[in-house]
Amino acid sequence: MHATRPRTRKGDALPAVLLLAPFAITFLLFFFLPALDTFYMSLTESSLTRTNAFIGLDNYVTLVQDPSFWAAVGNTFYFALLTVVPLTVLGLVMALLVNHFTRASGWLQGAFFLPFVLPISVMTLIADWMLQPSSGVVNYVLGMQRAWFADLTWAMPMVAIGTIWWTVGFNMLMFLAGLRNIPAELYEAAALDGARGFTLFRTITWPALRPVAGMALVLQLIASMKIFGQTYIMTTGGPFNTTRVTLHYMYETAFTQSDAGYAAAIAVAFVAIVIALSLAQAGIVAWLARRDA
Amino acid sequence: MNKRASLGWTVIGALAALLLAAMWVAPLLWAMSTALRPEHETVSAVFHWLPQEWTLDAFAKVLAAGNVGRWLFNSALVALLVTVVTMALSLMAAFAFSQLRFRGRTLVFALTMLAFLVPFEALLVPLFRMMNQLGLINSYAGIVLPQVVAPVVIYVFKQFFDAIPADFREAAVMDGAGPLRILWSVYLPVSGNIVWAMAIVTFIGAWNNFLWPFIIVTSNDMMTIPLGLTQTYDAFGVRYAQLMAAALLGALPVALAYVVFQRRVTHGFLAATGLKG
Amino acid sequence: MASVRLTGITKQYEGNPVLKGIDLDIADGEFVVLVGPSGCGKSTLLRIVAGLEDVGAGTVEIGGAVCNEVEPAKRGIAMVFQSYALYPHMTVAENMGFALKLAGVPRAEIEERVARAAEILQIGHLLARRPKALSGGQRQRVAIGRAIVRKPEVFLFDEPLSNLDAALRGQTRVELARLHADLKATMIYVTHDQVEAMTLGQKIVVLNGGIVEQVGTPIELYERPANMFVAGFLGSPRMNFLPGALAGEQDVVAHVRLSGGTQVDVAADASSAAPGGAVTLGVRPEHLRVLADGEGGGIPATIALVEYLGDSVIVHAQANGVPEMIAVKCRADDGAWHAGARVRLGFDPGHGHLFDADGAALPRVPQAR
Repeated sequence: MHATRPRTRKGDALPAVLLLAPFAITFLLFFFLPALDTFYMSLTESSLTRTNAFIGLDNYVTLVQDPSFWAAVGNTFYFALLTVVPLTVLGLVMALLVNHFTRASGWLQGAFFLPFVLPISVMTLIADWMLQPSSGVVNYVLGMQRAWFADLTWAMPMVAIGTIWWTVGFNMLMFLAGLRNIPAELYEAAALDGARGFTLFRTITWPALRPVAGMALVLQLIASMKIFGQTYIMTTGGPFNTTRVTLHYMYETAFTQSDAGYAAAIAVAFVAIVIALSLAQAGIVAWLARRDA
Repeated sequence: MNKRASLGWTVIGALAALLLAAMWVAPLLWAMSTALRPEHETVSAVFHWLPQEWTLDAFAKVLAAGNVGRWLFNSALVALLVTVVTMALSLMAAFAFSQLRFRGRTLVFALTMLAFLVPFEALLVPLFRMMNQLGLINSYAGIVLPQVVAPVVIYVFKQFFDAIPADFREAAVMDGAGPLRILWSVYLPVSGNIVWAMAIVTFIGAWNNFLWPFIIVTSNDMMTIPLGLTQTYDAFGVRYAQLMAAALLGALPVALAYVVFQRRVTHGFLAATGLKG
Repeated sequence: MASVRLTGITKQYEGNPVLKGIDLDIADGEFVVLVGPSGCGKSTLLRIVAGLEDVGAGTVEIGGAVCNEVEPAKRGIAMVFQSYALYPHMTVAENMGFALKLAGVPRAEIEERVARAAEILQIGHLLARRPKALSGGQRQRVAIGRAIVRKPEVFLFDEPLSNLDAALRGQTRVELARLHADLKATMIYVTHDQVEAMTLGQKIVVLNGGIVEQVGTPIELYERPANMFVAGFLGSPRMNFLPGALAGEQDVVAHVRLSGGTQVDVAADASSAAPGGAVTLGVRPEHLRVLADGEGGGIPATIALVEYLGDSVIVHAQANGVPEMIAVKCRADDGAWHAGARVRLGFDPGHGHLFDADGAALPRVPQAR
């Protein structure tokens, strides 16, 4: 067949520059430079508006010993713990249901996915209303008077539940795509071999969905690390900072305490955590792929 | 498994589907029920699932007071600008990465994809400072510009362009078309579906973006819907019917977009994950 | 119209040589077929002529001018792709006129040339349709029409019939031959199908592993193949190869003792081969005969399978010392054969080919036909 294409073509340089320039400029200005800036700022003592002295790794030293930082990281992981598995399992169940009940699938899919396209504030407003201590419907149904978002035990779980309602549709979509990619012939051959019901799921469906599940888990994990809006709006990080997540802490440090240098250090640490998780994911995916091959 | 057992499973499945679907639409339905009743009913001692008195009062008040109309306009303008600019930039860049052979191509592409690893959230402070220095705080340009950098979209378009059979490109080369012409006359016309899908997804994302506008907007007038809705706490106090009305109004445009473009939306989100189907 | 000359064309992909020095002369107006198995380099050679690939070394001359560095669109060539590569969003007319539009040809002239090409190919009624509304055969004609419209010096065809079904292929072959006669254009045609090569080519170039095995007219290649590869490539069913050793020679007749023990005569000049040396006998299926009981000699064989083709019969037989089965093509009424029957196969010495130990053909003595 046609062999490999040439590595460089002489006439391509100019059009390439023309086509890439607009993106490259915005990329440089609004990503690359700020990224470098964050790095640099983390090594300084700065306010929101002025960069002051260069202090080397002092910010990081403080960071490592800062109980508020680690508490925030812990809160973030707690949130991840509460959401990642339910989101994946529910997403799978929903996808299976949508895939099975084909006549209602448009409606089912719509019902599960619609929340995902809504702005975060819609979710937080409705959640806040439903969880009102005295006039909220949840308390009415459960016969309680609890102030959910002010409750030490329940604040984060409620944020988690709201998030699950909001974002599970995306996982469902991924699993649906995975399900639809399974060739019908596999099921037909298995049926001829006498397999039914749960055996089909165990021997055909689940193995085909494992990679999707893996991807979903990791995407969820990384997305969980990045939450900010839900806790900021619903609980403002309370009660007593028990729902203050990493980014929230960074925001407060930067904009409330105007300590931009330290906030930058938090940002860098945050990026490091995300990168570490992404690499771990890539590693696990590769390991699983090798094992299955 | 015999027929009776499999019927049993189907019933369980159907019940599960109904239950889950009900749970998922319940919050929005409840919000609607709340928004369509007079304010005093929302805090009354006696609980009612449906409004005793149906009224559009809350919606009227929300639209009259506050800036909901203004916020809707801002959101629409910002989302539109972000979408158009992102599409243009990303299509051009994706074509260059996919079809042009120039020195450093792999390096530049790798750098772009690196942006996946660094979350936007980490850049808030430097971006804020830069916008400050450029005088773009609280401006449309300020809100729009950082959002047009979308490596995901470039990645999706590049994958798509890569999959177009090389024959089309070569035929165009034989016909005498230069690279720009090839992009315009051959690659763009066949990209309709994927461009639509990514455009809608970008639009929804821009509409729903909370974090960046939250940082860059300082005046009530310039707020987008997600921001503005959080203001309603203070604006309306404990007037839940109005709060729900505001929420529903804010949700309406994107919900409509989803209902109308359901297939394209799902296509777009899926493409961004790299899964086929 | 113009001639094409290739000198010393060499090409490598990541260290693997794909073309190892190709020299080729194509005269103005000639229909040349590049044929060979997959991976032989024929498509690469075509694409080098087109300018879609750069040469590693060597020169490409079109119309006497060296054009290694010239862009494809400026070489005066047009190409018909295997997949047709019709722009899906353009109508047939727009597809055909695209190159002219890019070249700035005035609209009226574009329309006229498109109409004329459409008339030659009988697709005038399809001009307003989109490619996806066309059948495979129609799309192929549009692809050809796109090439005609540009009035090129040289036409390049990259396996244009391989996506058509068998019936359509035969019909289109005839039309291509007619097209060549009408346009009197220089055409370079790449295929892996030896039937297309034999029927369409005025000159056939057999390629194998990046080198030219032989160049010649179909008759030359069929009757005087230069080596076992060419002999085995052209002709279906394939020529039979029987291993043996040179037992002696006498003027224009070589005596060969086959591995199974039989001795046969071949009208070939074996003077260059060592006596007793290993040789291979080649006989085409249509030149073998099942000997009647009364005839003597022949190669003993056992029939394994009989295939009825309607107008002819192919008998597959196993002979001692011959690893593969021997195919014999007979007329349908020559006799009723069945598997397991023992027969003897014979041939006229003038129809035998002899190949030396390296596979090169020993010169055949011309026979009166």
